[in-house]
Amino acid sequence: MTNLLSVRGLGHTYPGAHAPALHSVDLEISRGESVAIMGASGSGKSTLLHALAGIIAPSAGHVLFHASTGPVQVDTLNDDERAKLRREELGFVFQQGLLLSELSALENVAVALMLSGSTRRDAEAAAAGWLADLGLAGLEDRRLGELSGGQVQRVAIARAHVTGAQLIFADEPTGALDSTTSTEVLDLLLHSVTQGRTLVVVTHDPDVAARCQRVVTLRDGSIVSDVAAANA
Amino acid sequence: MTAMTTALRLAPLFRSGGAQRPGAAALLPVASFAVVTALLLLVIAGARVFFSWDDELASTYQMLAVIALALLVVPLATVGASAAKMAARRRDDRLSSLRLLGASKATLGALTLIEAVTLSALGALGGVVLYAAAAPAVGLLAFRGEALGAGMWMPWWWAPLIAAAVVLLGALSALAGLRAVNVTPLGVRTRQRAAKSPWLRLLLGLGVVVLAVILVQLVPAFGEAGGVIMMMLALGTAFGAGLLALDLIGPWVLRVAARVQHRRAKDVESLVAARTILDDPKAVWRQVGGVAVTSFVGVFAAAGLAFSQAMASGEPGAGEQYLMVDISTGVLVTLAGSFLMVACSAGLNQAAATLDRGPVLVSMDRLGMPRKTMSAATARAMMSALWVVSGGSALCALLLVAPLIGMALFMQPLAVVTVVLVFAAGFLLIRGALFLAARLVPGILARPERVL
Repeated sequence: MTNLLSVRGLGHTYPGAHAPALHSVDLEISRGESVAIMGASGSGKSTLLHALAGIIAPSAGHVLFHASTGPVQVDTLNDDERAKLRREELGFVFQQGLLLSELSALENVAVALMLSGSTRRDAEAAAAGWLADLGLAGLEDRRLGELSGGQVQRVAIARAHVTGAQLIFADEPTGALDSTTSTEVLDLLLHSVTQGRTLVVVTHDPDVAARCQRVVTLRDGSIVSDVAAANA
Repeated sequence: MTAMTTALRLAPLFRSGGAQRPGAAALLPVASFAVVTALLLLVIAGARVFFSWDDELASTYQMLAVIALALLVVPLATVGASAAKMAARRRDDRLSSLRLLGASKATLGALTLIEAVTLSALGALGGVVLYAAAAPAVGLLAFRGEALGAGMWMPWWWAPLIAAAVVLLGALSALAGLRAVNVTPLGVRTRQRAAKSPWLRLLLGLGVVVLAVILVQLVPAFGEAGGVIMMMLALGTAFGAGLLALDLIGPWVLRVAARVQHRRAKDVESLVAARTILDDPKAVWRQVGGVAVTSFVGVFAAAGLAFSQAMASGEPGAGEQYLMVDISTGVLVTLAGSFLMVACSAGLNQAAATLDRGPVLVSMDRLGMPRKTMSAATARAMMSALWVVSGGSALCALLLVAPLIGMALFMQPLAVVTVVLVFAAGFLLIRGALFLAARLVPGILARPERVL
C-alpha cells in the first residue's frame, strides 16, 4: 500500500494551555487503510485528527498529504489553503453530524460539491444518488430535525463521500447512536475502505476500533501503541 | 439564603469568567446602551429648547417634537431589547453550568439582573460622556433661524435621571430576554414557539391596512368635525395601524421572498441565506423589524419634506417660513437617529445570532467553506431581508400618505432625493454594524470546542 499521510514530530499546544495537547507524534497512514485512534479524554486524539485534517495548524512538526494533485505540506498552508484542501480532498463525519440545520438532507450533501464549483443542478443530482445508495431515497427534502440520529449520520457520510474524497476523517461517528445503528453506520464507513478509500476514525469504543485494520493509542499527547486490530 | 444574596456572591465570578469571551460580545451591549443614552439626552435637550418657547407657533413646534420623540421610541426599545439579548448570550455557558450545579431559576434571574444593570450602567455612563462630546456639534443645528447652541446643555440632574431610565430599560429587557431562552444544565437554547398560521396574520394585516387607508381618507372629515386634535388623533391611529399591519404581514412577506430566492439560488451563499430566512422568518423579522419602522417613518419624512417645501415656495410669513425649514431639519434628524439605533440593534442581533450559530459555523469551516463565503451568506440573509422589509414598509406608508400629500411628493423631487440619500447612509451604517458583528466568527472558529 502507498503512503497517503506522513506525520513527523507533530506537536500542538493550545493558547493559554500549560501542557501540550500533542507531543512529538510520528505516524504513517497508507492508502486504503482503516485506522482507529483511541485514548482517554484529553489524550489528544481529537487534536491529532484536527491537525491531520488541516482543521488546526500544528505548533510543531510536519504533515505531508499525498493529494490527488501531488504532495501537500499541510502544516505550512494558510487558513484559506487548508479550507480548500478540506473541501476538495477530505471528507468528515462527526459525532454531532455538524450538518447545516437550515438545509434539507439533499442540500447538505450538495453544498459540499457546490463549494468546489459544481452547479446546483449537478450537485443535487450527485447528492440524490449518494442518499439513495445510503438508503435515504425519498427523504431528500427532509430537514435534519425530521431525521433520526442514524439517518443524520448517513447524510454526513454521503456529504463526506460525494466530492470523491479519498481520505475520510470520522470523530466519534457512532458516539450518539444505539448499538444497532452504530453497527450500520460503521458498516457504511468501512464499506468505503473496501472501495479504496482511507478511513481515520477517533473513537472511545473498543468495538469500533476492533473493526479497523490498525489501532493507534494516545496518552498525554503521545502515541503509546500502534498495532494491528485484533479483528482485522 | 435568598436568590439575590447568592447572585451577589456569584456575580464577581461571572465578571472574571467573561474575560475569555469574544470581546465584541461584551462591548456591543455597552456601546449600544451608550448610544441609546446619548441619543435620549440629545433629543430631550433639543425638545427642551422647543418647550422654552411661548409664542403662537411654539405649540406647533412642541407637538412636532413630541411626534419625533414618539417615532424614536420603537427603535430605542428595540436597541434596549437587543442589547439585553446580547448580554444574555454572553453569559449563557456560565448560566447553564450554574444550572447543572443546582442553581435555582431565581438565582439565574438575579444574576441576569445584576449583569444587565452593570452593563447598562457602564453604557449609560459612556452615553453621558458621548452626549457631552456631541452636544456642541448638535448645537449647531438651527431652528427658527437660530442655532440650538447652549440650549443643548441641560441641568446636571438630567444625566443621572436618563441614565437611571436606561439602566431600568436594560434590566427589564434582560428579564424579558431570559424568558425567551431555556437555561438547562446542558446549555442555553432559544425557546421555540409554535408557529401560528401565517394566513391568519396575513388576513389580519391586510384588514388593518384597509382600515388605515379608510381612516386616512376620513382625516379631513375628522378635522371638520373635531378640529386639529381629532385630525391628529385620526392620523396617529392610522400611523399606528400601519405599523401593526407591518408586524402582521412582515414575516409572511419575508417567507415568500425567501422562497423565491431559494428556488433561484445558484451558489452556496444564496442557498444558505434563503434557508436562514425560511428557517424562522419571524426571528429574521424581529432582527430587521426596526428598519420597517424607520422606512415607514422615512416615507412620512419624505412626504413632510415635500409638503413643507411646497408650502415654503408660496409667500408665507417669517414664522411659517422658519417652520417649514425646521420641519425639514427635524424629519432628517429623526430619520438619522432612527437609523443609528436600527444599526445598533441590527449589529447586536447579528452578533447574538452569530454566537447562536457557532456549531453551524464550525461545521461550515470544517467542510472547507471559505470564511468569506460564511460571512457573505449571513450578511446576504440580513441584507436581502432588509431590502424586502424596507421596500414593503415604504410601500405601505406610501399607500397611507399618497391621499394626503399626493402630487407634492413628485413636485418636490429634492425632498425625495434627500430622504433616499439618508436611507442609503442608513443602509451603509447597518452594513457596517453587520460587518462588525461578523468579526466574532474568527473567535468562534479559533476555539470551536466552546460551541460544540
